[in-house]
Amino acid sequence: MKISTLWLKDYVAFKPPLESVADRLTMAGLEVEKVTPLTSGEALFEVEVTSNRPDWLSHIGVAREIAAVENLKLKIPPIETQDTHLRPKEYGIQIKDPGACPYYSGILIEGVEMAETPLFIKERLEAVGLRPINLLVDITNFVLLETGQPLHVFDADMLQGKKIIVRRAKDKERFTAINGSELELTANDLVIADAKAPVALAGIMGGKESEVSERTRNVFLESAYFDSRTIRPSCQRHSIHSDSSYRFERKVDPSGVAFARQRALYLINKYAKPRYVSTVLQMGTLPKQAVKKIHLKSQDITRVLGAEIKSSQVASCLSRLGLEVSQKAEGVWDIQIPSFRPDLLAPVDLVEEVARIYGFDKIPSTLPSRTPIPTVHDPLQILERKTRALLPGFGLFETITFSLVESRGVREEDLAAQVELVNPQNKMMRWMRSGFLPSFLNVIKHNYDHGAVSVPVFEIAHLYASAGGRKKTQEENCLGIALSGATAHQSWMDKARDYSFYDLKGMLQAYLEAAGCREFRFEAKKVPQLNESNSHAVIAGEHEVGFFGQAADALTGEWGIEKSVYFAQLNLEKLVKCLDRKIKVETLPKFPATTRDLAVVVSEEVKAGEVKEAVLALNLDGGLIRSIEVFDIFRGGRIPDGQKNIAFRITYQSLEKTLVSDEVQKLHSEIGTRIAQKFQATFQS
Amino acid sequence: MIENVISLEKQAQEELQKVSNPQDLEAFRIQYLGKKGRLNDLMQHLKEIEPAQRKDFGQAINRVKTALEEAFRTKQAGLPQQGAVKKNFFDETLPGVIPQTGRKHPITQTIEEISDIFARLGFESVQGLEVETEFYNFTALNIPTDHASRDSFDTFYTQSGHLLRSQTSTAQIRVMETRKPPLKIISPGRVYRPDTVDASHSFMFHQLEGLMVDEETTFSDLKGILELFLHELFGAQTKLRFRPHFFPFTEPSVEVDISWGKRGWLEILGAGSVNPKVFEAVGYDAKKMRGFAFGLGIERIAMLRHGIDDIRYFYENDLRFLRQF
Repeated sequence: MKISTLWLKDYVAFKPPLESVADRLTMAGLEVEKVTPLTSGEALFEVEVTSNRPDWLSHIGVAREIAAVENLKLKIPPIETQDTHLRPKEYGIQIKDPGACPYYSGILIEGVEMAETPLFIKERLEAVGLRPINLLVDITNFVLLETGQPLHVFDADMLQGKKIIVRRAKDKERFTAINGSELELTANDLVIADAKAPVALAGIMGGKESEVSERTRNVFLESAYFDSRTIRPSCQRHSIHSDSSYRFERKVDPSGVAFARQRALYLINKYAKPRYVSTVLQMGTLPKQAVKKIHLKSQDITRVLGAEIKSSQVASCLSRLGLEVSQKAEGVWDIQIPSFRPDLLAPVDLVEEVARIYGFDKIPSTLPSRTPIPTVHDPLQILERKTRALLPGFGLFETITFSLVESRGVREEDLAAQVELVNPQNKMMRWMRSGFLPSFLNVIKHNYDHGAVSVPVFEIAHLYASAGGRKKTQEENCLGIALSGATAHQSWMDKARDYSFYDLKGMLQAYLEAAGCREFRFEAKKVPQLNESNSHAVIAGEHEVGFFGQAADALTGEWGIEKSVYFAQLNLEKLVKCLDRKIKVETLPKFPATTRDLAVVVSEEVKAGEVKEAVLALNLDGGLIRSIEVFDIFRGGRIPDGQKNIAFRITYQSLEKTLVSDEVQKLHSEIGTRIAQKFQATFQS
Repeated sequence: MIENVISLEKQAQEELQKVSNPQDLEAFRIQYLGKKGRLNDLMQHLKEIEPAQRKDFGQAINRVKTALEEAFRTKQAGLPQQGAVKKNFFDETLPGVIPQTGRKHPITQTIEEISDIFARLGFESVQGLEVETEFYNFTALNIPTDHASRDSFDTFYTQSGHLLRSQTSTAQIRVMETRKPPLKIISPGRVYRPDTVDASHSFMFHQLEGLMVDEETTFSDLKGILELFLHELFGAQTKLRFRPHFFPFTEPSVEVDISWGKRGWLEILGAGSVNPKVFEAVGYDAKKMRGFAFGLGIERIAMLRHGIDDIRYFYENDLRFLRQF
């Protein structure tokens, strides 16, 4: 809000420099965001008013704060307190909706002289960027910015039937505002109407037809209290905002309604010289102040702030703010709360007032010295940290993508299980995601489009699922991994290759082992987003904790990604239950191990895992096989078409003795023979 | 003829003595030991020699050849080794083979750094839900039912009648509901507000909330903890100011600004003493309990510290950006 220092000086005689005044206001909680110096030596303050202080939305309100901060006197401008007791015969006010408008008052003023607006009013309006229009309108605008109470003047001759009716608009009722906007009203809008039609959108803007012009001689001056809950939705519905609605939305001071009316009347009487001024026509009652008196003890202050503030200083801080302080005993006060401070409801509210006028900077900084509080062990957070430490070591970059997504990449039938927003910011992005893949596809596409050749990423975030109806959303912490493109920076030493399914599989294995998952396996399982032939579940212990495989070609195609995308998704909350963080060390074997290679030529359809399982299933070794690993797959050359050579390396080791070569060779040959029989394999020499 | 061999050896040895550079040495090798060198030349004469002396002659040549080769190698070893340098040449300027390493997201790094500072001060990290009820996001935090922040312009609502939390303060309510004081917790996480995305706004961002509750905690403790924290994060020389502000859930409320070079004072976090109404909402004894709470925006801090001028970089996940952290 714009505040003119020239104008402020009408109410408080503060000393330059203006920058220091602005600083002290800021440090008392009324933040002056910008000081624009003017050639006159005065300045324009741009202040940020917090929602609890509607009283600062006026020059008198800001002046009161300056008076408190600088310890100066506040000067209240003159008002017209005399009532003419003249009751116009035909005029009547009706309030049809007292909830939305608890109180309405007005004065009929006839025979005004539309003289030139006095210079002091023009100067002040112009200082805050308002264009002077005519004497009557200028006076209402001036009083609004002076007191914070919005006023309105109607051309009384344009009020049909000489009636003021505060009512809800009829649905689709038309209204043309002073600014020219043509509105189609709803039954939720509150209007001021005459006998025929709306003449103002209540508290927001007057109507074009009853606008006061240079030729207007008879006016109706409105000063009312409108409920903030009615004003705000109307403003939003019609995207129409004004100095008036801005204040009603934040609640005006009930006692300011009469004060502003009397102030305006004072100025009208003085400068517009009306022939006739009616008595105050009014209807309804103003809202009552919730708390009028607060009992404050100096212990309240010390306990909250941790600082002792002298009794005399407490009293001084509060009375400078315009509160009436009466001391009941040493360090005990009764504080009268004025109606312009509806935010002061409890002792702690007064503690804050004392603290900010006293100065937050004067309150000491201390470090609490307490008994340590034992913290709760949270395995999920430990797993999260571990994951974030491990995966970058595998070459993966952590991403943060939006939890709100489009429906793209989700099957129509799966959408029903997703959480949907009522009021999305972007109509497309109205779904709470149930999986990471579409987000990763965006990231992969973006990076390929910007020259990347390798996109290995992971993310840890909540995924959401609708629990149906009004039930609370299911929300679980999950891990996503996606690999696409080249495995590493191309090095002059090594041949570049692209990520494969086996890189993802190996990463998952290394990750699960490092995370402390002692027992896990991968099983073929259909997942809609993955290619049917390459789609697997991750089973930890006995629980399915996630899935992985190759992203469906249809999806990568839809995103325009040419390279394969390998994708995994694990539920960390399920996984963490399968972890065993207790490590029991296995004694290292005392006797050496020996390795033998087994190369078998088998049909393409034979899976390496089947051969490995078959070797173990033979159970010939008496526990001598320590490990059996594939170390090469070879096709072509002397290998017939449709067959492949799988080379296994078998490690034999005994825990009791050093194995003799003949013994191992005998066992190894036997394994070879049996495997050859089982898989109709031949040996490649 | 044997004399020829002996004189050749003598001549060769003398000549080799004079050799002082690899070029001359190579010339020497060609002249005496090369295919068409003088030793091989002499060998051509073998058949001309009487058979009885052939053996001696042959042996003499071989002996001389061996001796000269030996002398040649000795000489070669003593000279700057051009030929050998070529063989063992090592180019250390070729690029190292860099293991591909990824990065934690800068937001995560910032959260972890802040969490670690508070962990050292005895604050425990807790996690919260993102889909919440109005009670946890507003009511328990003393936000009036007609407050603008409850509008659909400021908060996302779901079809199920819930909302996406607009602040991490929800976590403090959930913790207070289930645990008795004393408490010292922080809670980082994602929050959501229907802002139009631009260089400084996003409809999803991250906050970190802190809370301390016992029977003694004061506003001066809040000042002390926050000063310590901000000096750890931004450096001990960083100037701070505590500016009164308004939040419904704290009283007194404060915004903390840090002095940031030419940009002057920048707001860095909001805080305050816990409003007794919040204690009432969670069933604590509001007369006895004292506490403070603070909340800060992770993106804002990360942007300041790393000189990032557009918040959208965080969610675009361009690897060229992420690699820099």
